[in-house]
Amino acid sequence: MKRHLSRAAWLLLLSLAVVTPVAAQPAGELTVALSSLSTETLDPVLGGHIGKFYLSLMFDYLVGVTPTGQLSRDGGIAWRWEASPDSTRWTFHLRKGVKFHNGDELTSEDVKFSITRAMGKRSTTGYAGTLRQLVKDIETPAPDRVVIVTKEPTVIIPSYLSRVLSTEGMILPKKYLESKGDDVLVRAPVGSGPYRFAEQVSGSHIKVEAVPAPHWRVGVPRFKTVTFKIVPEETTRIAMLRRGEADIVEVSRDRMREVQQAGFTIHVRKEDAHIDGWWIQPWDQTPLRDKRVREALNLALDRREIAATIFGGMAEPASVPFGLSWAFPDIKFKITPDLVYAFDPNRAKKLLADAGYGNGFTTDIYAFQLPGLSEGKTLAEAIAGYWQKIGVQARLVPVDYPAFRKAWFDRSAPGALGYYNVANRDWIGTYAIVEKYTHPSNKSASMRDPEIDAMVEAVLHQTDRERVNALIRNILVRLRTEHLGLPVVYLHTPYAASKKAAKWNPGTVMYELNLDELVSTKP
Amino acid sequence: MTGPMRRLPVGPALVIVLFVLVAIFADVLSPDDPYEQHLRARFTPPAWLAGGSWQHPLGTDRLGRDLLSRIIYGTRVSLAAGVVTVAVSALAGAGIGLLAGYHRGRVGGVLMRATDATLAFPIILLALVLAVTMGPRFLNVVIAIAVILWARYARVIYGEVVSLMERDFITMARAMGCSALRIIAVHLFPNTAHTLIVLVSLQIGYVIIVEAALSFLGAGIPPPTPAWGSMVAEGREFVTSAWWVSFFPGVAILLVVLAFNLFGDWLRDVLDPKLRQL
Amino acid sequence: MRRFVLTRIVQSVVTLLVLSLMVFLLARATGDPLSLVLPLGATQEDYENARHYLGLDLPLSVQYVKFIANAVRGDFGISLRVRRPVVDLLWERFPNSLALAAVSMALSLALAFPLGVLAAVHRDRALDRAAKIVATLGQALPTFWLGIVLIEVVAGRLQWLPAGGTGDLSHYVMPAFTLAWFVLAGIMRLLRSSLLEVLDSDFVRTARAKGVPEAGVVWRHALRNALIPVVTFAGVYFAILVTTAIVVETVFAWPGMGRLAYEAITARDFPVIQAVVLVTALVVVVANFTVDLLYVYLDPRIRYG
Repeated sequence: MKRHLSRAAWLLLLSLAVVTPVAAQPAGELTVALSSLSTETLDPVLGGHIGKFYLSLMFDYLVGVTPTGQLSRDGGIAWRWEASPDSTRWTFHLRKGVKFHNGDELTSEDVKFSITRAMGKRSTTGYAGTLRQLVKDIETPAPDRVVIVTKEPTVIIPSYLSRVLSTEGMILPKKYLESKGDDVLVRAPVGSGPYRFAEQVSGSHIKVEAVPAPHWRVGVPRFKTVTFKIVPEETTRIAMLRRGEADIVEVSRDRMREVQQAGFTIHVRKEDAHIDGWWIQPWDQTPLRDKRVREALNLALDRREIAATIFGGMAEPASVPFGLSWAFPDIKFKITPDLVYAFDPNRAKKLLADAGYGNGFTTDIYAFQLPGLSEGKTLAEAIAGYWQKIGVQARLVPVDYPAFRKAWFDRSAPGALGYYNVANRDWIGTYAIVEKYTHPSNKSASMRDPEIDAMVEAVLHQTDRERVNALIRNILVRLRTEHLGLPVVYLHTPYAASKKAAKWNPGTVMYELNLDELVSTKP
Repeated sequence: MTGPMRRLPVGPALVIVLFVLVAIFADVLSPDDPYEQHLRARFTPPAWLAGGSWQHPLGTDRLGRDLLSRIIYGTRVSLAAGVVTVAVSALAGAGIGLLAGYHRGRVGGVLMRATDATLAFPIILLALVLAVTMGPRFLNVVIAIAVILWARYARVIYGEVVSLMERDFITMARAMGCSALRIIAVHLFPNTAHTLIVLVSLQIGYVIIVEAALSFLGAGIPPPTPAWGSMVAEGREFVTSAWWVSFFPGVAILLVVLAFNLFGDWLRDVLDPKLRQL
Repeated sequence: MRRFVLTRIVQSVVTLLVLSLMVFLLARATGDPLSLVLPLGATQEDYENARHYLGLDLPLSVQYVKFIANAVRGDFGISLRVRRPVVDLLWERFPNSLALAAVSMALSLALAFPLGVLAAVHRDRALDRAAKIVATLGQALPTFWLGIVLIEVVAGRLQWLPAGGTGDLSHYVMPAFTLAWFVLAGIMRLLRSSLLEVLDSDFVRTARAKGVPEAGVVWRHALRNALIPVVTFAGVYFAILVTTAIVVETVFAWPGMGRLAYEAITARDFPVIQAVVLVTALVVVVANFTVDLLYVYLDPRIRYG
């Protein structure tokens, strides 16, 4: 009772705080120009997590996060959650009085509907599979209470339904979807976030507008509209920034300084991505089956030079495959000096000779650009150049990413190297991505190591966080000591901003830009 | 020397000869290895600018490769792409145009429908689809562009043949019982050859430009092969920071395409003034 | 004449059918859209599910027949990437393409006329050569490079014009100019040669003999007659503009059909690839058809049968 009182008092305070700036109305517009908006899909369950940054203004998550990716009671529909002692029943307490943009009240039924839909057959979200595997039932004992019952004890439920991962935790309006049809969201999305859908022109922009009333997440939204523009060419984006046509633009590491000198603020997402190279399975018939060869290919790269030149100093050498650094504090992992790859072509040559490839061998490198990695082809060419110097003849296969992905999934080019700028993420995200690259039933598996498979499997059913941490640490060490990939660099991602966004922390949540901070008027 | 011959465009002709020579003697002329990368020396400016050196007269690209050497070797690649593509499409297109024009019935109908369908296919898209499908390699890019270009030859030659077929000498040849092959080879082909020559000269430049556009879209002749188009496409990202990377190959393209077009223009005036729409 | 029109319509339909089959098969040769639609960890079962939902599990022949049957009714299916009806996407994009092509065409004609007249009047002299070079430059510069330099200078440094996107007329200037210069050479050449031909003809000689001043001859008598072939080919150029603007659209962030097709190809979005190619092809076929009709009309020597 006492607890409730204090909560009421707190709410009162909060509402007072919100009431004061009510006089301030949303004003002006914020324009974000990016090279791509990936799928441009407006349905969270059909689009996938790469569209999170524009979807999360329109939708609320069940569990919120801080800008640095810690689960937060302030940022989500659930203001409190707890597990049963055996970690199989997870109870979420929902905020009251939250309304969808069409006026419907958000209740536990909507939460149940949303999670069920995210796990459904049409869903193409990143982690639906894991949820399907774990969730037994979803109960709605009260309009403000949801209980998720799992098949086995687990600790990952809140994270999987939060804003740190994909879009499974976005809450959709059940009644709206049931009356207008399951396809309605792609045309007219309705959520409960601080901005509601205004307009979409495919290939051009997605525009959202502020909700009329103050929103619990951000108060009175600062800008009347927020527009996400697709501007593929960098020169065009920079010119738009200079002319005031855009307020936040994606800039390349090469041109960042030039834009800074023109008087714009550069915001950097530090270690935003980890560039991982891997070889297409199955490689048991290729020279790569020999651990020494994999080590040699790693030692041949001068990561410092790559970071300093190709990435213009906006990168740090990496050394552990899928060593996503935002997870390190969570799992208490440190990259010790013995894990760092030296640049040692001579030792590389010796290792190759020891493995019986003293005269080198030929191999393929797929060369493609990726959103956020315009240096992709240059990097591929550079890797080929380094390998050349230890006698490995690398042939470039320049295709677009979909073509590489097909070869990778179909396993039609065993031993060929591919790469990706893996978005940095926390421990649960790291676990999820490692699972994708290792689990033998996945098309995306790029290595075969029973020891890792066993550890990955163990994490799901482990309820002791310390043991989970130890398992993930061991997985990373094993990936590194077996040289099961080609980690290249940590990549910083710069964004250039006008005065409107001069103060802004783009945060460290994957596929998010923390625009909440920019649109928020909450003290 | 008659009138038009006097007006031989000396400048363009010289440019063409010069670049052909460069292409032939690329190995001798090139000061450096066009493939050798020196990452630490990337974006070295041209020799006459601060920070430049005569080791790399035109500077280096994003991987620190010598730009001049790449342009010199690129001459070979780009001219070869232009010539081979045009040759392949001219042969195929002219053959189909001649055949369709001679057999105007069912055979011609089918051939010309296929030609129209190809012409109606958005040019760059078709090349893009082909390049994506087959993977962008030199030969595939050539094939992709040729697949579009043949149809132009087919349509123009077809038009020529159709009007030739109405002429008396063909009617007479047919009346005298000449075989189809003989009529096509002896009477029709020589009378369309001038058109063909003009088209070929005009389209070499076009191919080089299309290849550049394809490179921009990620489907041109791929790196590390030095081709002018892909060099300009790669360098466009650095127009403000390292302008030389795209500028010099751009100038090479400009000169060659301009030369071929002006030369082709003159050829048309001399050989075939009626062929004006191309 | 009616028979000619009828046969041409039938032929056009056949052309479009041939093309639809070509694009249907080609699109499918580019790869599997599912590996892009589905997340990394998708299992075989997920793939089969998605294939079923998207109708990609049907035999190819059934898919093709369905595609044609629906296309005739104006239904091109659902985009695999954006997940919206393809027709909606076409409606968003096609007007942008059409508008850009129209402005480019107008600009190109406006530039071609003075250049063409200048070149014809000063045949084989310095001005003729200069006009030719100016026009040909547009074809000799990679369009993307020209566009980028324009954006950097005019929008970035001088800040005179918007850098990209659609909007009021000022948004049209740079992309339209880039496109217009590319087709300028062709139109100007056409104008010059037909003007020369007309200037050489009997009725102009008569006009001259009658003492009409040279400027009057060129502007009043000759130009009007030289226009006809230009107008005839304007249709073809218009079609070229609509279909080849893809590079310009990318540079100027212009949401047109070319960009739509490019996005579709890179995402292996079959329904969109098919629809864009069919619609643009329709434009080209209609343009060619019109040109052929005008041909017959202008040149009675050509008989179609």
